[in-house]
Amino acid sequence: MTTKQDKRLSYVVLTLPSILIYAAVIIFPVMFSLVLGFTEWGGYGAPVWNGLKNYSRMFADQIFLHGLRNNLLIVAVSVFGQIPFGFLLAYIIYRRLVKGGRLFETMIFLPITVSAVVVAKLWNQMFSPSGMVTGLIRIIRDDPRFVLQIFENRDFAIMPILGVILWYYTGIYMVIFLANLQRVSPSVIEAAIIDGAKEHQILFRVVLPQMVNIVFTTAVFAIAGSLKSFDLIFTMTGGGPANYTTVIAIYMYLNTFRYYNYGFGSAISIMIVALSLGLITLIRSVFRRFEERYE
Amino acid sequence: MKNGLIILLGLIMIAGTAFAGGQGEAAEADGVTLEVYHYRDLTDSISTANWEELIAGWEAAYPDVTLEFEYLFNEPYHDKLQSMAVAGQLPDAMFLWPGKRTGYVTGSGLIKDISDRVGQVADQFAPAAVAPQGPNGEMWELPEQVTATHVMFTNTELLDELGLEYPDTLEELIAQGPTIRAAGYIPVAMDNKDGWQMQSTLLSALVARTGGKEWLDAARTGDGASFTDPEFVGALQVIQALSENDMFSPGINQADYGEALNAFATGEAVYFVDGGWRTNELVKLMPEDAYTYVEYNVFPALPTDEVMPGSSAIIAGTGFGMNAELEGEKADAAWDWIYYFAGPEGSAIKATQGWLPAVKIDLPDDIPPMLSQLALFLNNTPGGYVIDGVMDAEGMGVLHPAIQEMMFGNKTPQQVAEEYEQWVASNDSSRG
Repeated sequence: MTTKQDKRLSYVVLTLPSILIYAAVIIFPVMFSLVLGFTEWGGYGAPVWNGLKNYSRMFADQIFLHGLRNNLLIVAVSVFGQIPFGFLLAYIIYRRLVKGGRLFETMIFLPITVSAVVVAKLWNQMFSPSGMVTGLIRIIRDDPRFVLQIFENRDFAIMPILGVILWYYTGIYMVIFLANLQRVSPSVIEAAIIDGAKEHQILFRVVLPQMVNIVFTTAVFAIAGSLKSFDLIFTMTGGGPANYTTVIAIYMYLNTFRYYNYGFGSAISIMIVALSLGLITLIRSVFRRFEERYE
Repeated sequence: MKNGLIILLGLIMIAGTAFAGGQGEAAEADGVTLEVYHYRDLTDSISTANWEELIAGWEAAYPDVTLEFEYLFNEPYHDKLQSMAVAGQLPDAMFLWPGKRTGYVTGSGLIKDISDRVGQVADQFAPAAVAPQGPNGEMWELPEQVTATHVMFTNTELLDELGLEYPDTLEELIAQGPTIRAAGYIPVAMDNKDGWQMQSTLLSALVARTGGKEWLDAARTGDGASFTDPEFVGALQVIQALSENDMFSPGINQADYGEALNAFATGEAVYFVDGGWRTNELVKLMPEDAYTYVEYNVFPALPTDEVMPGSSAIIAGTGFGMNAELEGEKADAAWDWIYYFAGPEGSAIKATQGWLPAVKIDLPDDIPPMLSQLALFLNNTPGGYVIDGVMDAEGMGVLHPAIQEMMFGNKTPQQVAEEYEQWVASNDSSRG
């Protein structure tokens, strides 16, 4: 007969390995970063406590603020671009509003199967001063010195990257929505059609209310992913020229691993975590209101 | 079942421990074994053959010393070296830079000062190669080469076609711009997307002209000079003038490193500013007779008085150094490797691939003529400091974007200088 003590022991034995791994991989580094964020440390000797100096330095640095602005634009494109666009595409394919849905599904999903570094290199090659698009425009305009000026504009240099991000990641949201749309009972839609519901009424009154939870989940993915975006942008532009396309993760990487300011770099990484949690909390409260409305 | 699982787990752990330790013990028994961390691009098949020849030569000459290599390239190399240093697990020998590029380990006391050993062979090397690397005359590595970071490669065939001659002054160079552009060519091919290129391959040479080494030493330490002085602002003004007059490659600050090289090699550019290390690529990319029309020049004379006329920027190259903890026969073996790599034996092998060594040896007769041109250039050209070789890397994160902004017309040379000086005054390690 199994005693209560045996049950407790089994519980501890079974959960301890995963708790230890989680603590070693997540909790300890985050706590270590949190503490290190209040110090000045170049990697040698003991870290020197400097209070909130790293945080005040961060918010006084124009590069960080510009990177934050770029990150928020990426969040906006992800939440208000990739998710609605992904849902719309999934809905069109699910409702068979176009012929050849499978082909479109594959085409839209294909970019995400390619490594972000390869995608970045491809787009970079196309739009670089010696790239295909630039070369084509030079021929059309008969101007051998033509270059795309948008990349040299502080406010707009990030825009082409936002376009690539939208193109690259929309496919994954489409697939998530498509999988969840399969769970919508066809009989409910048929009933709505029999009752004379128009397509937009089916979309907004029948399908969308059942998707609130998954929209919330994708929004959490989008926010967390956007704030730590690194690989695509770093490979495309390295944050340049003149830091115009930088994001917080690049700012953190350079300060930590190129300039060896571990304390400052830790403070930046804590800021990324804090921003993610803040935005996710905000979006959670918004979605709760939606849920209440539909309930 | 449960007991069986525990026994299996135990066996796996014991086996793992045994296998992990076994290799080292086996190698140790044969003589000295050194862990060597090297900076190598494993995808470069051309240099791989030469590297294998170099190692075969080592194995023949030093059969009792086993080298266990670990390779990484570019930023990952530095990231790992830094991590190893922080963890106190530096290898026995590692590839190092003479300036501040690997200052994160050389300035930490973890690398052995090899100046005494270098002193015994210094007369075999070019003087620039054996110049002190640390503030107290320390040497962390033995350079395998000496590098000119500024060469103004010139396509004289295109100059002849356009009826032009190599300009004597900046004014003459800028005056050539309209003619060159009208013919569809790029006046001065450069790429500066990463930002370091303008600083390392042009600004450093210009500062050598306007201020010379003494001024940069004074500005670096803040001893009676600063980066807001006319010497530095004047050099920035030259870059601004070239940019405003459309002399550079279109979209220079968007162009990846290598685009300008291709433009020059394919005959699209009249001049090409880059480091002397580009010679090897030019030899591979250009026609065999390219040496008959490609000249190695320095930037034309500036309108202001020059402290070091006709100069480039020259820096000692990379090489191997050793862990500060090495003593006795391990330290001797590490020195053997360091000297073999940069000395006459290793350099003779590397020279066959078109490598100009720091050690004074007779170059093989069959080296490409363009390489002989580079050797001549290095022998005859005075050299100033390369700025990022003597200033902190973090400061380059301020200077490089500021220069790009100046080229976009968003900042003046004075503003760039003030911004950089402000950073140096509060942060650069040279200012104490």
